[in-house]
Amino acid sequence: MTKELLLAKSHFRKNKGTTAGIFLLMLMAAFLLSLSMIIFTDVYPTAQRSSEKLDSGDGVIKIYNIKERDDGFIKELMGDDVVRFGISYALNYSAVSVISNKDGANVVVNTLVENPEEAFSKTMAKTEIVSEDTSITDNYIYLPYQLHSSGNFEIGDTYKLALGNNRYDLKIRGFLENTYYGCNNSGCYEMVVSDKVYDELLEVHGDTNLCAAVPYKLKDGVKQSRFSTRVSNDVIKHDLCMSAENVSLSDVIMSRTFMSLIIAVSFLTVTIIVMAVVTMMIANSISNYVKENMKTVGALKAIGYTGRNIKASLLLMFLEIAVIASVVGIALSYVALPVISNVVVAQMGLPYSSAFSIIASLVAFTLVFAFTFIATLISVRKINKIVPIVALREGIESHNFKSNPIKLEKSVLGLDMSLAMKTLFTNLKQNIITFVITAFLIFLCVIALLMYENFNRNPNLKLMALEIFSGSVGVENMDSEEAYGFLASRPEVKNIRKTYDFRATTNDEDSIILNVFEDPSKMDNTDVCYKGRLPSHDNEICISGKYAKNIGLNIGDEIRFELGDKSYTYIITGFIQTTNNGGREGIMNEAAARNLVDLDNYITYYAFDTETEEETSKLLDDFEAEFGDSLVNKTNFYKNIEGSLATFKGIATLMLVVVCTISGAVIILVLYLLIRSLIFSKRKDYGIYKAIGYTSRSLVIQTAASFMPSIIVSTVLSSIASYFLANPYMQMIMINFGLMKCTFTIPIPGVIIIAASMIVVSFLFAVFESRRVKKIEAYNMLVAE
Amino acid sequence: MNEIIKTNKLCKTFSNGGVQQHVLRNIDLSIYEGDFTVIMGASGAGKSTLLYALSGMDKPTLGEVVFAGETITKKSPDELAVFRRKNCGFVFQQTYLVDSMSVLDNVLAAGLLTEKNKKVAASKAKEILKSVDIEEGLWEKFPTQLSGGEAQRVGIARALVNKPRLVFADEPTGALNSKTGKDVLDALTKANNEGQSIVMVTHDITSARRGNRILYVKDGEIAGKLDLGKYVSGDKERHLKLRDFLGGMGW
Repeated sequence: MTKELLLAKSHFRKNKGTTAGIFLLMLMAAFLLSLSMIIFTDVYPTAQRSSEKLDSGDGVIKIYNIKERDDGFIKELMGDDVVRFGISYALNYSAVSVISNKDGANVVVNTLVENPEEAFSKTMAKTEIVSEDTSITDNYIYLPYQLHSSGNFEIGDTYKLALGNNRYDLKIRGFLENTYYGCNNSGCYEMVVSDKVYDELLEVHGDTNLCAAVPYKLKDGVKQSRFSTRVSNDVIKHDLCMSAENVSLSDVIMSRTFMSLIIAVSFLTVTIIVMAVVTMMIANSISNYVKENMKTVGALKAIGYTGRNIKASLLLMFLEIAVIASVVGIALSYVALPVISNVVVAQMGLPYSSAFSIIASLVAFTLVFAFTFIATLISVRKINKIVPIVALREGIESHNFKSNPIKLEKSVLGLDMSLAMKTLFTNLKQNIITFVITAFLIFLCVIALLMYENFNRNPNLKLMALEIFSGSVGVENMDSEEAYGFLASRPEVKNIRKTYDFRATTNDEDSIILNVFEDPSKMDNTDVCYKGRLPSHDNEICISGKYAKNIGLNIGDEIRFELGDKSYTYIITGFIQTTNNGGREGIMNEAAARNLVDLDNYITYYAFDTETEEETSKLLDDFEAEFGDSLVNKTNFYKNIEGSLATFKGIATLMLVVVCTISGAVIILVLYLLIRSLIFSKRKDYGIYKAIGYTSRSLVIQTAASFMPSIIVSTVLSSIASYFLANPYMQMIMINFGLMKCTFTIPIPGVIIIAASMIVVSFLFAVFESRRVKKIEAYNMLVAE
Repeated sequence: MNEIIKTNKLCKTFSNGGVQQHVLRNIDLSIYEGDFTVIMGASGAGKSTLLYALSGMDKPTLGEVVFAGETITKKSPDELAVFRRKNCGFVFQQTYLVDSMSVLDNVLAAGLLTEKNKKVAASKAKEILKSVDIEEGLWEKFPTQLSGGEAQRVGIARALVNKPRLVFADEPTGALNSKTGKDVLDALTKANNEGQSIVMVTHDITSARRGNRILYVKDGEIAGKLDLGKYVSGDKERHLKLRDFLGGMGW
């Protein structure tokens, strides 16, 4: 092994630049891999541990508009399905715009307001204080931990709370940890206010806003979907104005962690591409080594080194780089972890302190090491083919020039460009590498651009919501017609759609939300039905394509729904795509719904459109003033979507920045390695050119330009290809979220900016790196050697 | 005769591990237009160093080189490159053709530096290739497919294609056998006869006979000069004169 170590040391000395370039690429791969592994292995368990610590059971049922404390009804409601359950009461404010950030940004979430006694005496799904200042005794509020982690609020700050017409300036006493109500992604915040404030709110809103939160642990064998359907329907049967919402523990953990998992998957995708680049660069370096050290290899073989010794020394060199790069990359990932942790904590809303993860580190290390080992092992095979005597004579031609594709006499290009094209053809393998890598990077950037465009700049609302509307109101049925009349009388209101929704079971156990429209063809978002057609008869239904696929149903098949004692079989006329309720939703018309339920027992919703968000806000306020008592629910769609998009926006921006930065870094490192080796292997030619009168400037342009055709062609082709392939690619991913056929907007100017940036950055760096040619002196190269 | 190069106290010192080696010492010399100047000397005497200092390919440590009235020693590397393309041609011992270029392209790569019109440049390149006996059948071959003599003649064609005022040849026959060496010398002599000035470094007396002026370099100085007159093939007296001169120099 001493021999191999000596040789490896010599390789290091001779190839410092290559070593540095490959080291940086490996470091990048190890860094990203380690980060994604830490997120994979740490985030979900953290959320799970927190839920276990807080005894969160299997889920929570929130019963809205309960009007008064009624433990007896709740006990009856839970029946024999649960092992145990807890009850707490709070004031629920639906779709409230709360300040989520110290800078004043808002998020729209359901907000449960509790008094301290109620909040901190729960027997299940407990609320824990993460931090507090007990010296603050009056006019205070405890906020979800997320408002500290992502909102930057601190204990002692003043928090402005607006609930209905009540406005409060409250001092922050502490921050809370709770499984179900601590994250904007799961749609609900819990806030604990001092008794005086709570009593005041109770007095004003107690009748309509009182809500019971019932965490439960199900008995073995009880299906949660069936349980939640039963409970929802029993609640409505008990009192039409009441409604129940079930939130399962698994859903809430998923909603708290899925954005982190998306980050991890994105890092992993970039890592795969970086590792592919590392593999190509290792292969290229070994090929260069053989080319440039033919005599040395021949001499080594002549004095008794075997091909195996030489291969082992190269393997040792790259593995040493891999080991050091992995260790440094993994260490750096822990340095960067607080930044990522902030993003994770911001969207998870749980106290999260990242610690050393032996599994994540081992996986990152092993993968980089194994990849390097395999790539090197495959690439060094050509050493075997070198015969000492032939190599010593330097009789092995590194190039076998047979054709002359760019004849200077006939070339339409200028002299420098013609010579650059000649260099391109003699350096074809390296240009193919550049072509492939550029294509990968452009594709990644276009995907990141797509996410930014559709989740941040111009959110693709039609993919995120079943129906698009400006606002909606839910009223008790007896006031339904008056409510419609009120809306119809307002000139700013357009396209009023009457809707209901209820849950029913199918396939023995699956709980499906059925959305009822008076006339589905009048929906604004008819694109929601991506295959087949919307239902128009009383025996027709559209169901989620993802769900239908899972249970093996097609358009034209029948599906039977059960609700209480009733059941009805519908014909599937089309598939819809939705991310709600785990992609388990259906659409039918009123007549079809009446086969299963008496809609008079359900809340009527009116969805409507206005020109502006302000008009919607004003209208909803006016509506509330008119129908205060019978108004069960009001939704300002724009505010709601703004709240749900807040995290998406942040992540989409982060990903665009990270992907573009990494792409820039990768193409720069690749060009660094390739240009360096090109200049080294052509150093004699550069000496000749300089001797016969070529200036350094001209040679720099020639060298840089020789890489540009592959980059430009690859950029143009991959931009066009990515434009057409990004949607099918995203569809493969989005199917998992219930979106079966999505057409995301890809802004052509954005693609052009990415393509132009790739070309400009590559060219500028290629020119910068090619300046190395200036150091070559004709005299030293041709005479003094 | 017109002076094409004049040096003034030209010095070149190499430093190796702190030890200074004075390769050229205060050289004052002139090269004249139309001359075939031969620089001779023992190995390590500084003849190649002098050649490359005269051509602007290497910078002297001290002193100056004046080329047609213009001091070239103060020019930047890129200015020197432009100067070389206009005024100098080079023939090296190892030919130094670009392997990835065809014969014609090797010559054109130099020709197009001064002649922007491709047709004109190509026609000049072909003409010059023919004049050094490189036939059309070889023009699309690559340097590795040529014999040593052919490659060197292509090198001469490349050096002559821009009709430089001065051609520098560094041991042009050093790597060739006597037959191919003679062909190369004939090509250089022919160029000289057509008015091209030539400065050639050699340690071969047969090659040196081609020159009309011999400079002998010893210990970094011009130790002796000899005027031989115009080369005439088979002139035995010329050979003896040269032999005596070299003998006197301790060669």
